[in-house]
Amino acid sequence: MSATQQYLLLLGMAIGTLGVVLSLYGLARAMGPTRGEPGKDVPASAGTMSRDPVWGRYHVRYYGYALLFLAFDMEMAYMYPWAVVYKEEGLVALVDMGVFLAILFLGLLYGWSQGALRRQ
Amino acid sequence: MSIAIVLFALLVTAWFLAMIESWTATGRLHPAAPLLSGLAHLGRESVVPRTPDRVFFETAPVLLLVAAMLGAAVLPLAPNLIIADLATGALFFNAALAYVLVALIMGGWGPNGAYAMVGGWRFLGQLIAYAMLIVMPITAVAMRAESLVNTAIVGSQESLWNIVYQPLGFVLFYIAAMALAFRPPFDLPTAEGELAGGVDAEYTGVRLAVLRLARLLLVVTLASATTVFYLGGWHGPLLPPWAWSLIKTLAVAVSMLLVGHYLPRIREADLLGWCWKLGIPLALLNIFIVGLLILVVP
Repeated sequence: MSATQQYLLLLGMAIGTLGVVLSLYGLARAMGPTRGEPGKDVPASAGTMSRDPVWGRYHVRYYGYALLFLAFDMEMAYMYPWAVVYKEEGLVALVDMGVFLAILFLGLLYGWSQGALRRQ
Repeated sequence: MSIAIVLFALLVTAWFLAMIESWTATGRLHPAAPLLSGLAHLGRESVVPRTPDRVFFETAPVLLLVAAMLGAAVLPLAPNLIIADLATGALFFNAALAYVLVALIMGGWGPNGAYAMVGGWRFLGQLIAYAMLIVMPITAVAMRAESLVNTAIVGSQESLWNIVYQPLGFVLFYIAAMALAFRPPFDLPTAEGELAGGVDAEYTGVRLAVLRLARLLLVVTLASATTVFYLGGWHGPLLPPWAWSLIKTLAVAVSMLLVGHYLPRIREADLLGWCWKLGIPLALLNIFIVGLLILVVP
């Protein structure tokens, strides 16, 4: 199978899954309607609609980790192609990536020393 | 044909897992329990919250299911039993499971309920903790196989399974996989008794059934990935290849349920701390050790 065919197959699978879910919804609807009763559709809290908006700002207390995560996530984009040719390139590949990772790891240690690795 | 077989195997594994899960909950082993429970969910009312973001609310369960299915589609059951043997299979697996986060944030945002929203944001923090521990061990696996093709990764383990070759990577991947599937002790987004079900809280009836099925398939997908990446996939004596894949997948999935059964839920701050202060240095060490092993041992 060519790559295009494989991706089309995966797309077909995603659409097929959607079809299964929709038919399940149809089946459930055929088994009976949902009765509209007061208070039934209030989200779980104290029984009334919440006073404060839920879609407000949320203090992301892990933002120190999140910033470091961005650096490490970018690094992973380089790691996959590197991993495939690693055996071929041998020691050079180990040193190349070793230097890169060492710098990144020093950054992690620095962040740690500055208190980035805690819930703010 | 092979597609139908793989999908059927996926369903059978999920069925067994659901059976065992209901066994731990009720104390009775009932072969038809998953079917009865599913039908009961279909018969119940499916309530939509009063002021929802309808698009997010409806998309979340479907997206979670699709993500789990796509992840399973690139994992081989036997040399020829695979839906799509992509050239970048290991990478695609990561990409598909990244949508678990999107689905859970949507599920948290959609119903406009406080508990659900907290659950959704919590999972974002959980992703920041576990994500590196999924991708870094897979890198070390790809280094040994010299390929991102999942069948080639299994092929590279014919003489020695990766669990022996890189045990550190296995432990990290196993823990991170449990966090990705938000099984206890990492069930932060759906914490029962603490968030009233969190992301699950506002889903009822058939939508909850789809959400539960998606969670189950997610566990199966990750157990299957553990098998493919670390437990030698289809390799094994006597039995046919597909049987070994199924047995190993089921064993890993059951072990994940068991571990979660006996551990208390971990706090988000602790999870982040452990993953970044211990997990990531260990994952980097694992890559270094595997790199040395590849160069030294021919």
